[in-house]
Amino acid sequence: MRKVKIRIKNLSKNFGDKVVLKNLNLDIYESESLAIIGESGTGKSVLTKCIDGLEDYDSGIISYENIDNIRNLNTQKKNEYLGKFGILFQNAALLDSLTVEENLKFCKKDNFKKILNDVALPESLLNEYPNNLSIGVQKRIGLARAILKSPEILILDEPTTGLDPIIGKQINSLIKKLVKEKKITTITVTHDMQSVYEFSDYTAFIKKGSISWYGKSNEIKKKGNKSLLNFINGLY
Amino acid sequence: MNNLIKKFFFFLKKIGSVFFEIFSSIGEIVLFFFNSVRYLFTGQFYTKIFFLQLIKIGYNSLPVVGLTSIFTGMVLALQSYTGFSRFSAESAIPNVVVLSITRELAPVLAGLMVAGRSGAAIAAEIGTMKVTEQIDALKTLSTNPYNYLVIPRVFAGVISLPILVFIGDIIGVLGGYLICTQVLNFNPVVYLQNTYNFVQFLDVFSGLVKAFVFGFIITFMGCYYGFNAKGGAQGVGMSTTYSVVSSSILILLMNYILTSLFFNL
Ligand SMILES: Nc1ncnc2c1ncn2[C@@H]1O[C@H](COP(=O)(O)OP(=O)(O)OP(=O)(O)O)[C@@H](O)[C@H]1O
Ligand SMILES: [Mg+2]
Repeated sequence: MRKVKIRIKNLSKNFGDKVVLKNLNLDIYESESLAIIGESGTGKSVLTKCIDGLEDYDSGIISYENIDNIRNLNTQKKNEYLGKFGILFQNAALLDSLTVEENLKFCKKDNFKKILNDVALPESLLNEYPNNLSIGVQKRIGLARAILKSPEILILDEPTTGLDPIIGKQINSLIKKLVKEKKITTITVTHDMQSVYEFSDYTAFIKKGSISWYGKSNEIKKKGNKSLLNFINGLY
Repeated sequence: MNNLIKKFFFFLKKIGSVFFEIFSSIGEIVLFFFNSVRYLFTGQFYTKIFFLQLIKIGYNSLPVVGLTSIFTGMVLALQSYTGFSRFSAESAIPNVVVLSITRELAPVLAGLMVAGRSGAAIAAEIGTMKVTEQIDALKTLSTNPYNYLVIPRVFAGVISLPILVFIGDIIGVLGGYLICTQVLNFNPVVYLQNTYNFVQFLDVFSGLVKAFVFGFIITFMGCYYGFNAKGGAQGVGMSTTYSVVSSSILILLMNYILTSLFFNL
């Protein structure tokens, strides 16, 4: 039996005159892994930020368990809500005044060394500063930081972008393990169809600011609508 | 005619929007201040970051403040000699030097120098953190950015500046002393005695109060503009500029207000 964890109804978000999300409806179910795909600039990252409360939206409702609309939360409640999420930002967003070790220790003081192995990084990195590392390495540290928190909900913004195919595969299986074994509710924004097929139970395809297709990831090829099939085949 | 009315209203609208922006940014600054105060009492205090900032804002500004003070003291001695020698009042030079330095020049010049140095650095650092989503990341790590970024910096500012200015006072007087004794052939002992006998507690104290206020203005405005940086590198550049310009103006304004307050004491 699927249980809705986060419900998004008629969500709209503009930046000035630019409409980014328009009447978007989407349910996120507990212990499921959802992939969000779509063209660059359609508002995938913005959507995740509306979901976790980092970005305000103009109209619509995002409800979570017994919270009717997260927009109405006061600052303190909002911070508590935000604390439920482990987030890998698209650009990693590591704290650049701190070393890798300090970044990882930020929310959990122990056990942080084990995680390096999981994200395929050597321990020798611990004393480096994020700015001296490649974006692929930074993103794996960002992923480690998000996981270390043992969050209720994981938001991963392009976890495999910037990684070579081998490490990409390794990261995909790591996330798969988390999703399947620990049953963490996961939202993954991705351009990597490998991530979609390997660990995402469901897929939402965004087009022009709303959901154009939603369904089981393993049924994309069978049931996907025309624009989705064109999109994944790289056709216009 | 119709066109003229339109232009007139357009003009009014422009004026209105300027005022609107001024008031709304004052409102935002006040809100930012109240948030900082609230989290100061309810949130964590990051001692390590505070000491780090004390070094960055205070200790590392010593050379700049020292240089400014010594040259100011020296120039002051020379200039007042030019004036005072015209009516044989050279003996008043030590008094003029110590009074101007402690009450006025050391605090204001140190404030402006530190605004350019540390205020800009704070705005640039926090602004970069803002546009690269590091501040968002902090929030998701259950860390309040006010407690982590703003409060340690403001505390470091209000503590560093008075210390810097006190050191600047001494160096400034030393600058005047050097010129008077080495160039103008004053008696060193008399110079120092004159200085010491003349200076009052309030002279130094009022300067240190000013320094405290300036320390707050510099760090607070740096944090505020950093937090409100938008866009990329360009946005960070703009917030840095705004922070330096606005804190410099505020320093000059507050300097006048504080001077007139102390004037009445
Ligand atoms: N802070 C902002 N101010 C103004 N516009 C913004 C802002 N953030 C995002 N946008 C705009 O919103 C739109 C969606 O951006 P978003 O980053 O969500 O795209 P995306 O789907 O994640 O793309 P990508 O796959 O390239 O990461 C873009 O057109 C972007 O220009
Ligand atoms: Mg994105």
